[in-house]
Amino acid sequence: MAEPYLVVENLTKVYERGQVVALKDLSFAVEKGEFLVVIGLSGSGKSTLLRCINRLIEPTAGRIYLSGVELTKLSPRAMRRMRRNIGMIFQQFNLIKRATVMTNVLTGRLGYNPTLLTLLGRFPKRDRELALRNLERVGLSEKAYVRADELSGGQQQRVGIARALMQEPELLLADEPVSALDPATSHSVMQYLEQMNKEDGVTVLASLHFLSLARRYGTRIIALKDGQLVFDGPPEAIDEVKFKEIYGEEAEEVEVR
Amino acid sequence: MATKPLSLSSSPVDWRQLRRRSFSFFLDWLVWGYVAYGVVYLLTKYWWEVPLARFLTPIPIPAWGWPLVILGTLETAVWSRALGRSLGLRAFGLALNAPANNRPSLRAKLRRGLLWHLNFTPLGFFYLVREGKFIQDVKSGLEVGPPPDLYPGSRSSPLRDQWAWTALLVVVLTLWVGWLVVEADLGTLIARWDKAGQIYWGKVRYDLRYFLRPTELPLPRVTSTGLLKPDFRYLLVPDPAFELRRLSASILDLMVVTVFMALLATVLGVVLAFPLSFLGARNIMGFSPVGWMIYFLVRGFFNVFRSIPTIMWTVLFAVWVGWGSPFAGVLGLTLHTIAALGKLYSEQVEGIDPGPVEAVVAAGGSRLEVIRYAVIPQISPSYWAFTLYRWDINVRMSTVIALVGGGGIGDMLFYHKDKGNWELVGAVVVVIVAVVWAMDYISGRLRERIV
Repeated sequence: MAEPYLVVENLTKVYERGQVVALKDLSFAVEKGEFLVVIGLSGSGKSTLLRCINRLIEPTAGRIYLSGVELTKLSPRAMRRMRRNIGMIFQQFNLIKRATVMTNVLTGRLGYNPTLLTLLGRFPKRDRELALRNLERVGLSEKAYVRADELSGGQQQRVGIARALMQEPELLLADEPVSALDPATSHSVMQYLEQMNKEDGVTVLASLHFLSLARRYGTRIIALKDGQLVFDGPPEAIDEVKFKEIYGEEAEEVEVR
Repeated sequence: MATKPLSLSSSPVDWRQLRRRSFSFFLDWLVWGYVAYGVVYLLTKYWWEVPLARFLTPIPIPAWGWPLVILGTLETAVWSRALGRSLGLRAFGLALNAPANNRPSLRAKLRRGLLWHLNFTPLGFFYLVREGKFIQDVKSGLEVGPPPDLYPGSRSSPLRDQWAWTALLVVVLTLWVGWLVVEADLGTLIARWDKAGQIYWGKVRYDLRYFLRPTELPLPRVTSTGLLKPDFRYLLVPDPAFELRRLSASILDLMVVTVFMALLATVLGVVLAFPLSFLGARNIMGFSPVGWMIYFLVRGFFNVFRSIPTIMWTVLFAVWVGWGSPFAGVLGLTLHTIAALGKLYSEQVEGIDPGPVEAVVAAGGSRLEVIRYAVIPQISPSYWAFTLYRWDINVRMSTVIALVGGGGIGDMLFYHKDKGNWELVGAVVVVIVAVVWAMDYISGRLRERIV
């Protein structure tokens, strides 16, 4: 049997201040083309897990393999090259607010271009064309030269998706991509992620708050509680009992339509 | 597993509270030390004016006086706290509380003051270990904690009750002692108003030394010049009395020099402070030992060079490159500008939203790209604001920096002031005011545009 696409082995993260254990001996594997949804309460370690995969946060212990390459052993320089293949979108969008949408989308190409040119704000013509195509794809082509902070929340997240698309990634990490959005906008954003997953064959790892969204879009769900894996399986397998186990006794499920 | 701090007592000790209490105690000690200084100052000042004391010889302060003063202020601090008159507790948001938020009784307060001293005996140590509290807390029934809003059945607030009188004492003492220390004298201020007026209106011409030792000099000559009758004869024509090396030295010439001093100092300062500000920002330098060391060195440079005033730097450079050389002024201004701007800049860098930084790193950006794409767009408005603010300071500083050999228009200003040519000084002042005003206007308009 071939090696899975992404392997996480015994991943542990301890924050030094206050000695908070965010992830505890976490292991799982992801096949290429999966849409994996990570669920769990706030503070259960979802964000930390995603950030450990592209090493925005350094893991304390454990190994992560991507296409057989051990990410946790890479030098900072090699890791920077590796990050080109790993797109990421964020709960708070993390756009450069005072820059244009175009500049924001082009930052997705920073890893591909020499620093000397990007420092002057120069990007190859090919990249600019790609940026326009990607903006068209997320339905924002006429907003290309508008400042990012003039857009609505949903539009800003779509800029975030266009920025991730610029990397032509194999893997997309989505850290609560719709938590700051209203339900209708949430679905539109999730559909872009679904499209990337189905049409471009991008493997997606998304953390979500709402189980209904996880069921609708995920091909597989893992659940974290206090930094430990408490569930790993298909969306249908989460029943009332499992739900209480993940979210606690008092929790009640909320639908997002 | 998180390890708890080692504790001998069964009840957990609130270390945060304990630290705040000890800080507040030292603050109280300091306050009473200041009060003691004020009282001693007033006593020595007025000792001879008390009629009976006039006939007594002054008592020399013995060598054991100092420990006595220190112990005395310590004791005062203890009693002020026990009696609930503590500025230190107030500063840390604490108060002395009786059970059920009642007003502490005088009896309990006095008991508390006495009990405090038992902390130095084994009994105090015993209570500290067994209860995790000081003996005065356990035995007096009064505890130190966050103050209640009001005492039950009373309209007075614990805060006002517990510190307002001490604060009033400190303020009154400061006014009284301060007035004496700076030799403030309203009588002189009023009696000599005509002499100052004569400088401005020019009825009488005074030798400046007359003001320093009025009785030793002959009466001043009468002239008809004054500050408010400015003489612009050297506005464009070089001033023959004022030989400034090979430069042509009309007022406007020197003003151009002065504006360029400010301009060069600001531009040089910005160019150098800009890169340094990233090296002096915690979030950019990361937590590696090398990054930490660079951060520390750069921050140290900012703090040391910023706290030495521009005037001092200019003296140094005036001796170095020549007294009265504008270059010396530029060097002095630049050095201070770098340090001051660097500190303001790097604090802005530290205050940025980390989100965009994360996004650029996640896309494979290098450290320089992070600065270019995630940091600079966030800080540029405040950078411009600080730069213009510094430009204002430099324009004003450059006009007076000649006082310590920095060159520029100040050279002429102080030359004629020393000679008593008030009408020429008046002309220079008018030009300085006009130029500073114009620069202020320009930078104000720029600020509106950019920020």
